[in-house]
Amino acid sequence: MHFRWNNPSPLPHLEAKIQQTHSLARLLTKYAEQLLQEYVQHQGDPFGLPGFSPPRLPVADLSDPAPGHAGLPVPERLRLDAAALAALPPLLDVVRRLQGELNPRALRLLRRLEDAARQVRALGAAVEAVLAALGPSRGPRPEPAAAAIAAATASAGVFRAKLLGFRVCGLYLEWVSRPGPAGAGGPA
Amino acid sequence: MVDISLCVKRPSWLVDRKRMRMASNSQWLLLTAVLLYLTNQVNSQKKSTPHDLKCVTNNLKVWDCSWRALFGAGRAASYEVCIEKRSRTCYLLEKNTTIPPLLPGHYEITVHPLYEFGSSKSKFILNEKNISLIPETPEILNLSADFSTSTLHLKWNDKGSVFPHYSNVIWEIKVLHKKNMEIVKLVTYSTTLNGRDTIHHWNWTSDMPLECAIHYVGIRCYIDDPQFSGHKEWSDWSLLKNISLPPDSQTKVFPQDKVILAGSDITVCCVTQEKVLSAQIGSTHCPLIHLDGENVAIRIRNISASASSGTNVVFSVEDNIFGTVVFAGYPPDIPQKLNCETYDLKEIICTWNTGRPTSLEGPRSTSYTLFESFSGKYVRFNGDEVSANENYQLFFQILSNQEIHNFTLNAQNLLGQTESTLLVNITEKVHPRIPTSLKAKDINSTAVILSWHLPGNFTKVKLLCQIEINKTNSEHERNVTEGVESSNYLTTVDKLNPYTIYTFRIRCSTDPFWKWSKWSNEKQCLTTEAIPSKGPDIWREWSSDGRNLIIYWKPLPINEAYGKILSYNVSYSSDEETKSLSEIPDTQHRAELQLDKNDYIISVVAKNSAGSSPPSKIASMEIPNDDLKIEQALGMGNRILLTWNYDPNMTCDYVIKWCNSSQSGPCLMDWKKVPPNSTETVIESDQFRPGVRYNFSVYGCRNQGYQLLRSVIGYVEELAPAVAPNFTVEDTSADSILVKWEEIPVEELRGFLRGYLFYFEKGERDTSKIMGLEPGRFDTKVKNITDISQKTLRIADLQGRTSYHLVLRAYTGGGMGPERSMFVVTKENSEGLIIAILIPVAVAVIIGVVTSILCYRKREWIKETFYPDIPNPENCKALQFQKSVCEGNSALKTLEMNPCTPNNVEVLETRSVALKIEDTEIISPVAERPEDRSDAEPENHVVVSYCPPVIEEELANPGAEGGGASQVIYIDVQSMYQPQAKPEGELDSDPVGGAGYKPQMHLPVTSTVDDLDADDDLDKTAGYRPQANVNTWNLVSPDSPRSTDSNSEIVSFGSPCSINSRQFLIPPKDEDSPKSSGGGWSFTNFFQNKPND
Repeated sequence: MHFRWNNPSPLPHLEAKIQQTHSLARLLTKYAEQLLQEYVQHQGDPFGLPGFSPPRLPVADLSDPAPGHAGLPVPERLRLDAAALAALPPLLDVVRRLQGELNPRALRLLRRLEDAARQVRALGAAVEAVLAALGPSRGPRPEPAAAAIAAATASAGVFRAKLLGFRVCGLYLEWVSRPGPAGAGGPA
Repeated sequence: MVDISLCVKRPSWLVDRKRMRMASNSQWLLLTAVLLYLTNQVNSQKKSTPHDLKCVTNNLKVWDCSWRALFGAGRAASYEVCIEKRSRTCYLLEKNTTIPPLLPGHYEITVHPLYEFGSSKSKFILNEKNISLIPETPEILNLSADFSTSTLHLKWNDKGSVFPHYSNVIWEIKVLHKKNMEIVKLVTYSTTLNGRDTIHHWNWTSDMPLECAIHYVGIRCYIDDPQFSGHKEWSDWSLLKNISLPPDSQTKVFPQDKVILAGSDITVCCVTQEKVLSAQIGSTHCPLIHLDGENVAIRIRNISASASSGTNVVFSVEDNIFGTVVFAGYPPDIPQKLNCETYDLKEIICTWNTGRPTSLEGPRSTSYTLFESFSGKYVRFNGDEVSANENYQLFFQILSNQEIHNFTLNAQNLLGQTESTLLVNITEKVHPRIPTSLKAKDINSTAVILSWHLPGNFTKVKLLCQIEINKTNSEHERNVTEGVESSNYLTTVDKLNPYTIYTFRIRCSTDPFWKWSKWSNEKQCLTTEAIPSKGPDIWREWSSDGRNLIIYWKPLPINEAYGKILSYNVSYSSDEETKSLSEIPDTQHRAELQLDKNDYIISVVAKNSAGSSPPSKIASMEIPNDDLKIEQALGMGNRILLTWNYDPNMTCDYVIKWCNSSQSGPCLMDWKKVPPNSTETVIESDQFRPGVRYNFSVYGCRNQGYQLLRSVIGYVEELAPAVAPNFTVEDTSADSILVKWEEIPVEELRGFLRGYLFYFEKGERDTSKIMGLEPGRFDTKVKNITDISQKTLRIADLQGRTSYHLVLRAYTGGGMGPERSMFVVTKENSEGLIIAILIPVAVAVIIGVVTSILCYRKREWIKETFYPDIPNPENCKALQFQKSVCEGNSALKTLEMNPCTPNNVEVLETRSVALKIEDTEIISPVAERPEDRSDAEPENHVVVSYCPPVIEEELANPGAEGGGASQVIYIDVQSMYQPQAKPEGELDSDPVGGAGYKPQMHLPVTSTVDDLDADDDLDKTAGYRPQANVNTWNLVSPDSPRSTDSNSEIVSFGSPCSINSRQFLIPPKDEDSPKSSGGGWSFTNFFQNKPND
């Protein structure tokens, strides 16, 4: 499923922005795969075992990229992308903090988590720019409830924190690799 | 229960024990008898009187007594109870009443029901031993749980205030869990009653998390009062109290994030409403232990140490998983190699090794506390601050005026704690930091001031700094001890060389020594220039024409020049005058002076920016030496050792000068000065080359004049000569040769000439083994000429008119040189030639004469031996055909073979298909004419078999001649049935004459040309013929080209060994049959058959 920019672009630079955003998403897809692989390596079994698929924890402010999103108009899809990309960095920061306590010597994992948060912010900014070029935005987005998530996770135990990290890394991969304007699936 | 007995004797109440002890035995016996009597009376009235008196106590303060009274119990609720031992005390009591505790001893108890008719008094004997002590049922004040540690906290009151005195109490506590009340723990707990109510606590940690199941606790007690002599019994169990699960309906796994000792066991449970399908720790599945409801647990035994992120325990339900993480690790090891030192006497840094890893990271890692006991201060180190390199260290601020520190390093984590101590005088543990800001400032050409910064306050200690002074390829160290007030330090380094690059670096320690600091960065410094310490090393040589004196000097080494040499000044002076040359630039190291024959003193001075060097002087004239020999010396490698005798007259020094002997012009390559007390020196130069002759001159110095003491020629290494000596033949005679050769030039000689080798041998220029001329060969003569002055050689005892090969080569200590050769023919010796001719002629004549005589005398024997008479077949009767008959009757062609009757005749015929054998003829192969054979077309091969006996019979008399002659029958196969005898005339006219023996085989039949040749041979060799001509044995295979020669169908092959005189005459069985192609050894080649004309 690919997104096609059907309408001729009024501004050439908008197409360039979209292309840049798509390229960045593709790059982040590779990083997200590496991050997920690195993450499960440090959580112990059964996280690294094949077939391990824990239930999808509900994550505040962030939902799975639904298949139904494909049928939405492009601006609406971009808004969903932007919202997801805005919610991801604080969650990645929470995961980074939890893993810092759990695996203080896993420097590569910690660095990847830091980089992921930064890169998602960059991708989110790119999507916002495209969104702004398409028309007026809907106003300020509510702040993500990452702090509450962190507190809740910390009290829920280490296993829960591991699951949350697994879930966040998975969502990160899904959002950057999903088909769509902001995903690596290409300008669909 | 207490035994109760009725007694008749009135018990006295409040009688002291002493009085009771005074009762006599007789009284006791009487009382017993009376008591028995009364018992009987009581039994008889049992139904109406109180009985079964029982007394218990639960606090030793009062006794609870009760009895049975079957009748009138409702109406007579009051009794008069009298207790009597020595005194009598009566109470108006209810049925069950309490009485004060009685002192030890027997008491008579009288129970008299009031208001009851017909009833009688009941009397009982009561003793403390009959009393049961049953404590009150304890009551649990509080039961709480610490779920994080799975610990139950039990609290109860011992109610000790109700007991009159101290008593030991044993508490028994039971813990039950699950709804079916399984006892999981039963413990006893001892306390003491001290007369006051005391709250007791008891904690118990469960193996199973308390959340996994409901836990119940009950308690009872047993009072062990040593003063109480009655029965002591356990109290009843208290009411059970339980710990309920937290009011949370969510599924959870317990314990959460538990830290346990590696190797221990742990129970993990899952509290859920759903059915748990499986449980696993890591990747290992575990059997489920079912608890209440759907709750399950697993028991993990001997758990391994966890990774950093812990060990995951996961429970799986239908569509979800629940889990927890267990952190299995170790308590901290004792901190090892605890070391405390200071860099700057301001702060103490303590370092240590953690020892065995705990496998616990982050918030669960070990925290360290460094406690100093004298000051009471401490610093903490959090384990989660550990860097990747595990550098464990803590900083402790030094207190003023405190040198001795007693450190205790405590290590603690959730599994335990350890500690390590260290007592240290910090002034003895100073490890200074790296000195920084090292600077060098020159004072003069031999001294500089070094300054550096060393952080810290070292006023209380003695600082020791070490300066490394690094000159080119040399190193020195100087220890500088200084008392310092601040962090900036200065020191002077002297005794340096002028105009020298020095590299300084510094490190510091304290006294007493503990550790050096690291070396500071290097600082390079060039000292200033100074006047050259010496004049240049000079020498002089006269030019080859003897008119000019050339002054040579060497540039001053840097450690003597003390600066950059700018120029040189050369002056020369005699007794009369002193002259100077203009300044010579520093790049030039020679000067040429035109001097007369007077003696001059030449002076050379080197100048740098600081001034001029002391002059170097040398006399222009050389002190003569009449007694001088040229000697030889050999070196090794690139050095050569020269020695000379000590000469006390030589006061200055010795100079050894050397040059390449083949050089033209002034002989000077280099020179070397050695002290005057030396008698030897080693001359070493990279310019020395093997195989080059050098002249060494040893001069002694006396009053600035030099005298040649020794002249030495030498090689550092000898090589073989590069060329062969040129030689010529000066004179040649019939028996000698005079050879003369030339010297090899020195540059080609390449070593000291040791001699020549001269080889000679007979040989022509073209045939002589020039290159193989070796002294070891028997025919090579060698002359070794060791007298190198010899330049000629006469070789004698040679043969006249003979070519000789001469070879000459020179050799040195380095080996043999190449050879040069020459061929010389000696002159002819005429006398010898004459003798050489005459003697063979004379010998030949004598031998001829003797041979002739012998042959003549032995001619008969020779004839018989070498040329016997051969029977002539012509004379054989067997071949005597009657000419007349034959001539007259041509039909008579059959040879008379009687009495020979062939018993078997085989004829093998090979003929052309087109031809038919129509007749045969008997023909001798030797009788064939060449022209006949030239017409021979494809020849027929005929193998004739004939009757041997006849032949043998005929041949049995080979020596018979005339009428007794044997008959040899030649049968042509083709004409076997029609024999065609040739007329005798034809036989006679046969070229071979038909005389003598006729061979049975005619061998050369294969080709016409051969036939022609063979005929020629036959013509020449009439007489005996061998029966076989081996040349005709064609040892060819049928497939060979020759065997298929189109010009000859005669194919003969096989073994020549089968040759004999027997022939098989094989008649053709079928005239039309094709001719045989021949498949084996064929005798047909013995017969040359013509085609049937």
